[in-house]
Amino acid sequence: MKEVSILVEEVSLSFPKKKSILNIFSRSKSEDFLALENISFSVKKGEVIGIIGRNGCGKSTLLRVIAGIFSPDMGQCKSSGKISLLAGLGTGFTGHLTGRQNALLYGSILGHNEKLMKKLMPEIVSFSELESFIDEPLRTYSAGMKARLGLAVASALNPEILLIDEVLGVGDPVFKEKSKAKILEMVADAGTVVLVSHSFGLMTSICDRVIHMNEGKIMFEGNSKEAIASYYESEERRN
Amino acid sequence: MGDGQELQLKVVGERSSSILAPFSSFSVLFYHQFLIQNLIRKDIRGKYSNSFLGYIWTVLEPALLSAVYYFLFIMIADDPDPLYAVWVIIGVIIWTCFGKCLQSTVTCLTRNASTIHLVYLPRLIFAYASVGSTIWITFMSSIVLLPLLIAYDLQISWQLIFVPIAILIAAFNAVGLGLLLAPINCVNRDIEHTIRFIVRAGFFLSPVMWTWEMAIERGWASEVVIWNPMVFPITLARDGFLGKLTEFPINGIMISMTWGIAMWVIGTIVFNKYERSAVKYL
Repeated sequence: MKEVSILVEEVSLSFPKKKSILNIFSRSKSEDFLALENISFSVKKGEVIGIIGRNGCGKSTLLRVIAGIFSPDMGQCKSSGKISLLAGLGTGFTGHLTGRQNALLYGSILGHNEKLMKKLMPEIVSFSELESFIDEPLRTYSAGMKARLGLAVASALNPEILLIDEVLGVGDPVFKEKSKAKILEMVADAGTVVLVSHSFGLMTSICDRVIHMNEGKIMFEGNSKEAIASYYESEERRN
Repeated sequence: MGDGQELQLKVVGERSSSILAPFSSFSVLFYHQFLIQNLIRKDIRGKYSNSFLGYIWTVLEPALLSAVYYFLFIMIADDPDPLYAVWVIIGVIIWTCFGKCLQSTVTCLTRNASTIHLVYLPRLIFAYASVGSTIWITFMSSIVLLPLLIAYDLQISWQLIFVPIAILIAAFNAVGLGLLLAPINCVNRDIEHTIRFIVRAGFFLSPVMWTWEMAIERGWASEVVIWNPMVFPITLARDGFLGKLTEFPINGIMISMTWGIAMWVIGTIVFNKYERSAVKYL
């Protein structure tokens, strides 16, 4: 039996709806929006898990709970090893810094130390194909160039647990292929992967298991084809 | 076997106990020093990007402000102290440092909402990075005092070291209150508007345009203003500029230091305890 690398135990999380100065100290949940409701599952080491569901069903929130960004109201989440969340590439990018300075800043936000970042820099520059722009201020970059730099920095890391939230599909078609290949390579290297995506084709090809979520609850967990079928079924019922 | 596997699993986002938070914050800051350095650099570069004068603004701003206050003062009082302009400059520099540290710590979670939603970091880092950049900019501003020393024919003495020390005390006095209010500001932005008002009002209630000596001349006034924790750092810096050890009463020093340390301990504990529920409001 393989060891467990992520264990989610009866996690519930709600977001406060009404902004009141008293809510932060009290536990009243009357006005809250329940984003995750009693979620339990485990991911074994080396497994690739996909999560599907319509927008707002709690997929991204679940990834953020696993990454430690939100702490659950009830239940707990355990993990073994360094976790990285790939989401919204280019967090903390600022226009007046150069591409290189931004890469250093972004890398340090993602938890790298100075020595490692200096070592990774040539790889980042060549992967992002920004050789002639890297020392220009970021405000001169196009949106696609920023996304490329973000992906280059984010993918230079080598986590034991990788959480991916819809980061595929940036840049031009050639770069898109390149980034997909890079992410697949990361998926292969990383011990454990949890992937949120709307690309069902990708899901079926790389995921060992797929979880279908709806309104903060797990509807189905298992084989990818059956999970996708469960997704379409619940969408039809909604219509 | 089952037990061995379970042991490796750690609870995600487990935090140190609240009481120990002030101590563990040191290790957090040490561990993330590279990130803090980068955030400070971003702040400072950002502040003066796209400006022709750049860093000169750090010196120019307090100098121009003081010129205005000096003009105002000689209109109101006939016979000003010849060093009055310098006292105002020092007051402005130290008070601005306190005010900016306070405002940036109170808003440290709300300003960094997008980063907070994407990466888990000890959020204390954002507070200290903004305080660090404010301290750095204030050190730059205090360079304006060097030409003034020459202009007023004063000696460069070792006591000048009290100017940067006073800046650090001012920043420290702001951190605790800022950390205490930062989680509440996520829920309710009224906090940051209130703080902006307090910083403006405090400008007049602290010895920026007046000095501790003027308060002593009024007699009863000194007994009231001694409770203001900012009187000590500003007076310390002014005496340092003159090249003398401060004669500020020891109980006033105690009040200022006790405020700083007590607020820092309480603020760190509260921040550590509530930032997690607070970020859900961002």
